[in-house]
Amino acid sequence: MKKIHIKRIFLFVALSFLGSSCNDEFLDVQPNDLITKENFYKTEDDFKAATAPLYNKVWFDFNDKFYYGLGDGRSYNLYAPFSDYIYPFADLTETGLTGPLVSAWGSLYNVVQQSNNVINGIEGSDVSSTLKNKYIAEARFMRGTAYWYLASLWGNVIISTNPADLVQNPIVNTNPTKDVYEFAIRDMEFAAKFLPETAPQTGRLTKYSAFGMLSRLYLSVAGLSDNPNSGTRNQAFLDLAKKAAVKAISGPYKIMDNYEDLFKIENNNNTESMFALQWVPNGSYGVNNSQQAYFALGSDITGDDAAYGYWTRASNDVLYEYETKDKRRHATWMADDDYYAEISKTTGGYTVNHANTFVNVKKGVVGSTKDNAKISKQNSALNTYMLRLAEVYLNYAEATLGNNANTSDAIALEYVNKLRLRAGLTVKTALTYEDIRHERRIELCMEGQYWYDLVRRSYYKQQEVINYVTGQSRGVIVPITYAAATNTVSVDPTRDNSPRAIGAIDTSIFLLPYPESEVIQNPLLSAAPVPYNFKDPKITDLFN
Amino acid sequence: MTNFLFFKGGHIKQLGFTVLMFLFSAYMSSQTTVSGVVSDGKGPIPGVSILVQGTKNSTATDFDGTYTLSNVPENAMIVFSFIGYKTQTVAIAGRKKIDLVLIEDLKTLDEVVVVGYGTMKRKDLTGSVSTVTSKAVTQSVTTSIEQLLQGRAAGVQVSANSGAPGASSSVSIRGISSINSGTQPIYVIDGVVIDPNANSNPYVINNINNNPISVINPADIVSIDILKDASATAIYGSRASNGVIMVTTKRGKKGDLALTFDGYVGWQEIPKQLNVLNLQEYGNLKNTRSKLGIVEKDATFIRTDLLGEGTDWQNEMFNQALIQNYNLSASGGSDKSTYFMGVGYMDQGGIAVGSSFSRFNLTSNLESQVKDYFKVGLNFALSNTKQVTTLNDGSLILTALRQTPNVAVRSADGSFDGPDTDQFVQNNPIGLAFIRDNNNEGVGLRANTYAEIKFAKGLTFKTLYSLDYGFNSAYTFDPSYTFGQIKNVNRLGTRTKSNSKNWIWNNVLNYTHDFGKHSINAMLGQEAQENHWENLYGSISGYLTNTSTDLALGDQNTAAVNNHSLSSSLSSYFGRLFYSFDDKYLLTATVRRDGSSKFAEENRWGWFPSAAFAWKVSNEDFLKQNKVINNLKLRMSWGAVGNQNVPNYAYTSTYNSVATANWGTGLLASNTANPELTWETTYSSNIGIDLGLFHNRIELVADVYYKKTDDLLNILALPNFVGISGQGSTSAPWYNIGDLENKGFELALNTINIQNKEFSWTSNIVFSMNKNKVLSLNNESGNYPGKVQQGSDETVITRTAVGQPISQFYGYKVIGRFEKATDFYYKDAAGNVLPTALPKDMKISENGAWIGDYIFEDSNKDGVIDEKDLQYIGNPLPKFTFGITNTFTYKGFDMSIFLDGSYGNDVVNYQRRWLENPRENTNLLDTALGYAQLGLIDPNGPNDYRNVQIVGGDANMPRIAASSAASTSNYRFSDRFVEDGSFVRIKNISVAYNLPSSFVSKIGLAGVKVYSNMQNIMTFTKYSGYDPAVGTLNNSALLSGIDNGRYPSPRITTLGVNVKF
Repeated sequence: MKKIHIKRIFLFVALSFLGSSCNDEFLDVQPNDLITKENFYKTEDDFKAATAPLYNKVWFDFNDKFYYGLGDGRSYNLYAPFSDYIYPFADLTETGLTGPLVSAWGSLYNVVQQSNNVINGIEGSDVSSTLKNKYIAEARFMRGTAYWYLASLWGNVIISTNPADLVQNPIVNTNPTKDVYEFAIRDMEFAAKFLPETAPQTGRLTKYSAFGMLSRLYLSVAGLSDNPNSGTRNQAFLDLAKKAAVKAISGPYKIMDNYEDLFKIENNNNTESMFALQWVPNGSYGVNNSQQAYFALGSDITGDDAAYGYWTRASNDVLYEYETKDKRRHATWMADDDYYAEISKTTGGYTVNHANTFVNVKKGVVGSTKDNAKISKQNSALNTYMLRLAEVYLNYAEATLGNNANTSDAIALEYVNKLRLRAGLTVKTALTYEDIRHERRIELCMEGQYWYDLVRRSYYKQQEVINYVTGQSRGVIVPITYAAATNTVSVDPTRDNSPRAIGAIDTSIFLLPYPESEVIQNPLLSAAPVPYNFKDPKITDLFN
Repeated sequence: MTNFLFFKGGHIKQLGFTVLMFLFSAYMSSQTTVSGVVSDGKGPIPGVSILVQGTKNSTATDFDGTYTLSNVPENAMIVFSFIGYKTQTVAIAGRKKIDLVLIEDLKTLDEVVVVGYGTMKRKDLTGSVSTVTSKAVTQSVTTSIEQLLQGRAAGVQVSANSGAPGASSSVSIRGISSINSGTQPIYVIDGVVIDPNANSNPYVINNINNNPISVINPADIVSIDILKDASATAIYGSRASNGVIMVTTKRGKKGDLALTFDGYVGWQEIPKQLNVLNLQEYGNLKNTRSKLGIVEKDATFIRTDLLGEGTDWQNEMFNQALIQNYNLSASGGSDKSTYFMGVGYMDQGGIAVGSSFSRFNLTSNLESQVKDYFKVGLNFALSNTKQVTTLNDGSLILTALRQTPNVAVRSADGSFDGPDTDQFVQNNPIGLAFIRDNNNEGVGLRANTYAEIKFAKGLTFKTLYSLDYGFNSAYTFDPSYTFGQIKNVNRLGTRTKSNSKNWIWNNVLNYTHDFGKHSINAMLGQEAQENHWENLYGSISGYLTNTSTDLALGDQNTAAVNNHSLSSSLSSYFGRLFYSFDDKYLLTATVRRDGSSKFAEENRWGWFPSAAFAWKVSNEDFLKQNKVINNLKLRMSWGAVGNQNVPNYAYTSTYNSVATANWGTGLLASNTANPELTWETTYSSNIGIDLGLFHNRIELVADVYYKKTDDLLNILALPNFVGISGQGSTSAPWYNIGDLENKGFELALNTINIQNKEFSWTSNIVFSMNKNKVLSLNNESGNYPGKVQQGSDETVITRTAVGQPISQFYGYKVIGRFEKATDFYYKDAAGNVLPTALPKDMKISENGAWIGDYIFEDSNKDGVIDEKDLQYIGNPLPKFTFGITNTFTYKGFDMSIFLDGSYGNDVVNYQRRWLENPRENTNLLDTALGYAQLGLIDPNGPNDYRNVQIVGGDANMPRIAASSAASTSNYRFSDRFVEDGSFVRIKNISVAYNLPSSFVSKIGLAGVKVYSNMQNIMTFTKYSGYDPAVGTLNNSALLSGIDNGRYPSPRITTLGVNVKF
């Protein structure tokens, strides 16, 4: 090649590059593993995709440990002396540093803020308001549920409708408990109004789910007043709770015939399930139901080393609560000599075989991948019940009982007795608060509920609940033997009682401390709350 | 060094002849005395070594350059040698006075330094550049090049994040100038940019084992130039804010084939073991704990006095491990073309079971002057690395320390044993290491090709296309096993394939011209680059056996698959002008403009200018004849550099897919957008001095600098109620969150202490001092927490706040212990008796605050210990660091001793929070047994705090409490766990012996050297953990100086040989 040619070519290349204008197209890179805002919230399919994760991933950290650690651990259904995700709650020694408390706070606010993202995203869309409301209702149901938890647990918390405001300024005051409940109720009322009659996809919410949840919310707030020992509940809220329960029960939901069937993988989204977290079989971390790993008694159940439940046990207190013939015990707790056909199927089922001195968790325990291909390590593939029809029955009964000492309301009795008959028990002819408390505890045991029952009672009979918790004798571990066939607890006199160091039982136990790192970042959390300024008008035509 | 070898080689070759000559002359000639003056044109040179050839008769010039040498044969030859000058041999030829002018060896003065997009003579430098040569490679055991920089380059701080084979290091140049956004400098290897920050893609973050620099074979390196001030780095614009490390690899040299083989074999061991409980101690403590109701009674510990030592898990897990390294290289060339080829293999076993790293390298380069105006070249480097980390590095040390001594490694039949329960126990790590698969293999290809054309005298154009491809495969397999009571039946296999493709094309026009006293070098360039990364992941379970582990053998119903990809691009224009007047006044100005795909269109482009001025005072007339100062240069510079290390699309809202059970894919908001996001910019000023005294026998380079970083890029610190933490959260937005400054002083001193014919001693001292301060933060709380998660405990360990250096340890302060009842009260200034502040929600009771518990400082004096009492309790940043190398040569021997050290930094020994807490269920450090023992003052009295006293235990330890609340309180994060991390370490001792060339040439070789290196020989420190040099945790600048079970760096001893053919 001629020298002059090469030089010319190079000079041309050099000049063309050095002189080229700033090429912005080269700098516009489109992602392949994400979707950007510009391409989303256009169609109903987008709305469905946006609301779907509100049924699983955002609840993961809540479901992982706190659901039962708080709901059942703190109410002393569970006794787990070495599991730091349970005993700080059961021992009443949790602090703002307790891990599951911190992550549950974060998780509940993830539910709130991701619901906000969905609500704001859909509101900004160009579709009809009917379509918008249907999906906004779904997100508001989630947000309302999360705020019910937050209000029940921490009392005064921050109400947020847009995370962007908190990004700009996270140093904000809390809002008072009653405003938080009111906010949750308004969300749920909106959901009751705009959710569809029937679930558009199996497992999705309906307006009856929202009514069911409303019956719980109204019951919670009914006792709330300035006097925690007032002894009475607000009749208007009791009436609303009853009306909401009636609406919910009028929907398509039916209770299952067999209690034990409720907790089988194949019965996810059964007729009784009104709201359940939808975990993904073989799903990755974040959309899995990890509870079995914490409950399973040993690795021979799960088939892997994720089986940490040997020391996660029924408290004596809850074992004493079972009636002799209550079938629900076998479905909730596994005792020595109990047999479960669905576990270890290949070897003819699983028979619990250890000393009869302790009782472990059954509900949520389903076996290994060999029993069901949907099960994998740290993933039971079971839905997590957040609301089922049985609870709404009990809500109805509780609302009907109201401020009376007892009731023989036929419908209330019918509902409670349906559950009792299903459990293999005799029917009741009248109901006291004690009857309903007992029924709730047993029916919903290990479904993360009982502590909230106690909290709601503490709003108007605080001293009674303090006495009740004191009576659970959490500080003395009495050795027992357990007869599985008859649900009978006997004190074992050959072994000594052992002490357990527990925190003080006083009025402070009904509120959890804010996570310490949150208070460090927002010191106003511990300042006095400021009333919330409600922007939207309240829905008033719900029960017309 | 080269001079020295040259000199010696020449000497030995003539040995036979001169011995004869000597014998002859001794017989024939008479003796004489010779004297004279040695100078270099400017003036006399002191310390020149003068030797009568073939004898031991030698002397050196004194301060005036004069010498006298007696008893010299009249016909002898005298050898004059001095470092930096050419060695000269002069025949006496009967003279009595010989004055000699030594000629400077231009090779050293014309030393070339690699700067961005070109090279410069060191004497022309206006910016601040440190150089580490390949000598450092031979004087240490180096598996990755960044390890060479610690203590050898002023202003550079390096600490290994883990001692595991192939793990990464934290490198900071002149302090930490970014908070979160990639604090590592970029590496430019033969013109190819490797950015360790960019390679940490969001799907494999926090993997300390992932070290992109480890693919480079240190043996291929000629020199490493560290560009430190903005004048030097600004030409790399948007990516240079943490400094630039230029790596030059070996090139071909004109001449006959030169073949070199180098190989060494070595042994590695853990430098230190921590004292943990043996079986008896563990059993006794467990009995104590069961009495307190913390654990159930363990029947095996009824008679602990009958028990032996039990299993020593540190002994079991850490073994001597082999390291071996072999390199073969060939180079040569004709007048027009040169070539270099190298092949290397390194295999480093881990001192911990189940860890290793091996690397195979193939490199070559060719350059050819195809026409007198046209040059082309090719660089090529292939690497194949294999890394085994059977046990997760993070849990390895913890397992070794926590596994209890009552668990056996193997049962009597030789199979692996395990704990006798599957609850709250550690698995058998040795068993897992043997049967579990977790390894990865990477193939990296780094190549560039270039053409350079000379249009006219001084005007050239160079175009260079370079690529950096990486292909990685990661394999894991969890087999089924039964270790004691721990059983795993579910076999799980995963495969991850990822590849990265990065390319850069740059075009540079260069012009140099000298006219009169003026000299100009102008450069203009354009560059485009693109990074792409993608992966493919699959997992499956349901294998029938443990033997073949490909996914094909799993149950297809359990298969899961995933894939991600990322791309980013950068477009740049840059120029540099160098002007020199009379070789006295030097000026460099650069400017660069970068556009990045990581920012929104309107914030995309950034300008990065710099200017520097140098004055060569020693070339002024008034210094030219100075006898003491032979080189004095003053340097001044200012410039701006940027940082763009944020994830792609941080400026816009994005949605991630989330699996659902029945409804198809869901989408969840994955970030909080910040369209305002823009460059982080560091403005830095530098003043430096280069000083050479006594003909460079003393060389001093000193710099002071001030750096201010504006618009720091970081994830905004927000409370969790914004919805930014845990599964299903949106990540907090990336923001330009504030400003910080670094100012410092650094110094490098090279001295030739003794230099004569047979013995020389040279020293190299490097000293760095840096002060960091956060100037502003724009979030409301004005601080950033650094959190560490341990199990379900998440604790704020550090705080980064305005007015403080970054990453300060932040916790409670222990001011004493409740020794007696009166400690629960104190008298204030007015004489009122007040209760001592107790932790929030705690009262005086055995399950609350009690005798033997810590008293924490109530810093806000509100009478309660809560989060408002958190305070600064330590600083992980050293006051200064230093490195000292002393090199001695004696005849064929060569020895160097390298020390490095750090002063004034604190280290958090974080695991002591658990391993020293006697209440914990795991095995513990033996210091845990020092808990305060309580007794009743009046044995018949009540168990009331007024009747309780401390009767034994360590004076600084709290009691063992039945209540978890008391234990949580005592073991909260406090200054108890902050230790002095200052240290001095004998880092390396290397000894080498060059075989006499007379012997070597007889066997047909050009040179043979045998050598031995010892590394991490001894550390002097007060720190109680394994190793005070801990690096950062999770690659986060907010978590510096935290030892959370870090894999210690091994002690290594090697033996090697280097043969030149």
